[in-house]
Amino acid sequence: MSRLRIFFSSAIFAFRAQFEWLNPTMWLTMKFVISLSQMAFFVFVGLFIKGPSAIPFIAIGNALQSVSWNTVFSIINITSNDKWGGTLSILLATPAGRLPIFIGRAMIHVLDGILSVTISLVFASLLFGVNFGQANALALTITVLLTAFTMTGYGLLIGGFSFYFRDPLIFANIFTFILLIFCGVNFPVQDLPQPVQAVSYAFPLTYGVEAARRAIDGGTLFDISGLLGSQLLVGLVSMMLGYFFFRSFERVARKTGRIEAV
Amino acid sequence: MKAEGDMPKMPQALKVVYSAFRMAMLHWIADPQWVIPNIIAPFVFTTVALTLFKGSTGPFGLYAILGGGIMGMWGNTLYSSGFAIEFEKWQGTLEEVMAAPSKLILVIAGRSASNAVFGLTNMAAVLLIAVLGFRVPLGIENPLLFIVALILTLLSLSALGLIFASAFVLSRSAQALTNGLETPLYIISGSMFPVALLPFWIHPAAYILGPTWGVDAIRLTASQEYASQTFWTGMGTNLAIILDLAVMVLITLAYVVIATVLFKMVEKRARIQGTLVEA
Repeated sequence: MSRLRIFFSSAIFAFRAQFEWLNPTMWLTMKFVISLSQMAFFVFVGLFIKGPSAIPFIAIGNALQSVSWNTVFSIINITSNDKWGGTLSILLATPAGRLPIFIGRAMIHVLDGILSVTISLVFASLLFGVNFGQANALALTITVLLTAFTMTGYGLLIGGFSFYFRDPLIFANIFTFILLIFCGVNFPVQDLPQPVQAVSYAFPLTYGVEAARRAIDGGTLFDISGLLGSQLLVGLVSMMLGYFFFRSFERVARKTGRIEAV
Repeated sequence: MKAEGDMPKMPQALKVVYSAFRMAMLHWIADPQWVIPNIIAPFVFTTVALTLFKGSTGPFGLYAILGGGIMGMWGNTLYSSGFAIEFEKWQGTLEEVMAAPSKLILVIAGRSASNAVFGLTNMAAVLLIAVLGFRVPLGIENPLLFIVALILTLLSLSALGLIFASAFVLSRSAQALTNGLETPLYIISGSMFPVALLPFWIHPAAYILGPTWGVDAIRLTASQEYASQTFWTGMGTNLAIILDLAVMVLITLAYVVIATVLFKMVEKRARIQGTLVEA
């Protein structure tokens, strides 16, 4: 019971912490503006270079990628806020179980991420004419849920790794934006140089984007089960690696006494 | 640090701008990793555009690499405007800056100018990556006018940044505003595609942005194959460049006037309400 309480309180506090620097109105505005503007930018670039046929591919890719602002950027930012706010030493001094703290703090961002993708898919349909007439609603819903959850694993991995650095915010920027290159968001993974393509499949988003496109084209849950299975595996491994980084950082921090400025 | 007596002889206002410029430079040298958040979006956006452009023919390469470079400058300048205030808040020096007899706009102008200079290095980095990594040829048709257009566009971006900075004084969400405004401005100014592709109702917004004219002038100076996307279609290239730059200079002067008025209003409001640091 105690672990469950820690899990939920971590989830709520980590989410509320972002309102220290962002008021709720601004949070909601940004949710709409960032989702729409990024999608619009790449849709217009694609329209200019490839013509109207490129629009659905790019719009759906960016809709799925919008999840990363919550599940990657915001989660890495938790590490950053811990360091800037001076709360990291208090966190490490508590006797609370580390696993519920570590995973719990990311969980509301899963819900927030699902909301971002939903808003973006509505933009894709209403503003950019993406046709959802053939979409398999169940397959698409499961894909969005799983993408948000597994991308949280990726966020926790980078967030855990970032504990070792003074300014995790820099990692938040880098590891959120590179998804636009590696994950088949704006162009197929096959357009990347051959050696780089293997890297693409280390990101849960790559599977999610492909699964979402297939689900919107009418693919069933069975059709995309292989993609979703791989995505879940990559997401869970990322989460565990992130936890490993967090615990090893804690050991080093206790030993060296250098917590905020490693 | 130099003592005040060591400063070059200049009017008081310029001294303030220079000091803020110098201080921002020193901060950057002390912690240069902060260039990464500024350059990452333009670099990624350019890479995506160049990958989409692979195998296509036409002026796309020119759009992608010049657009990416301009976005590099723009990202840095906007970021610096938002962050200039935030930085003072973080360091606990905003109250002192406000209490000093120097005008806040001059301090922010100095900071913005220094970040605009770094913006140039961002542009160079994006261009270098594009040319070396993607083998896109970049021959500059008229190097002298290219540099003039580049510098004037940079000044225009800085002046626009000042308008945003005035709003950022009142908001504790400056960082979020900066993140949120970056991409919409890339879109509206047609940094990587013609403004004509945008819905018609967005065009007026595009044409009151100085950088829209600057981007057009920069492309005209870079390639003879490029046709002006503003109102100068059919005119000679040099005339179109001069008209683009003239319009941009007028818009930039308007930005400076607006920013000065806004800063006065915002400073007054912040002092009366006493919500400067908590804002």
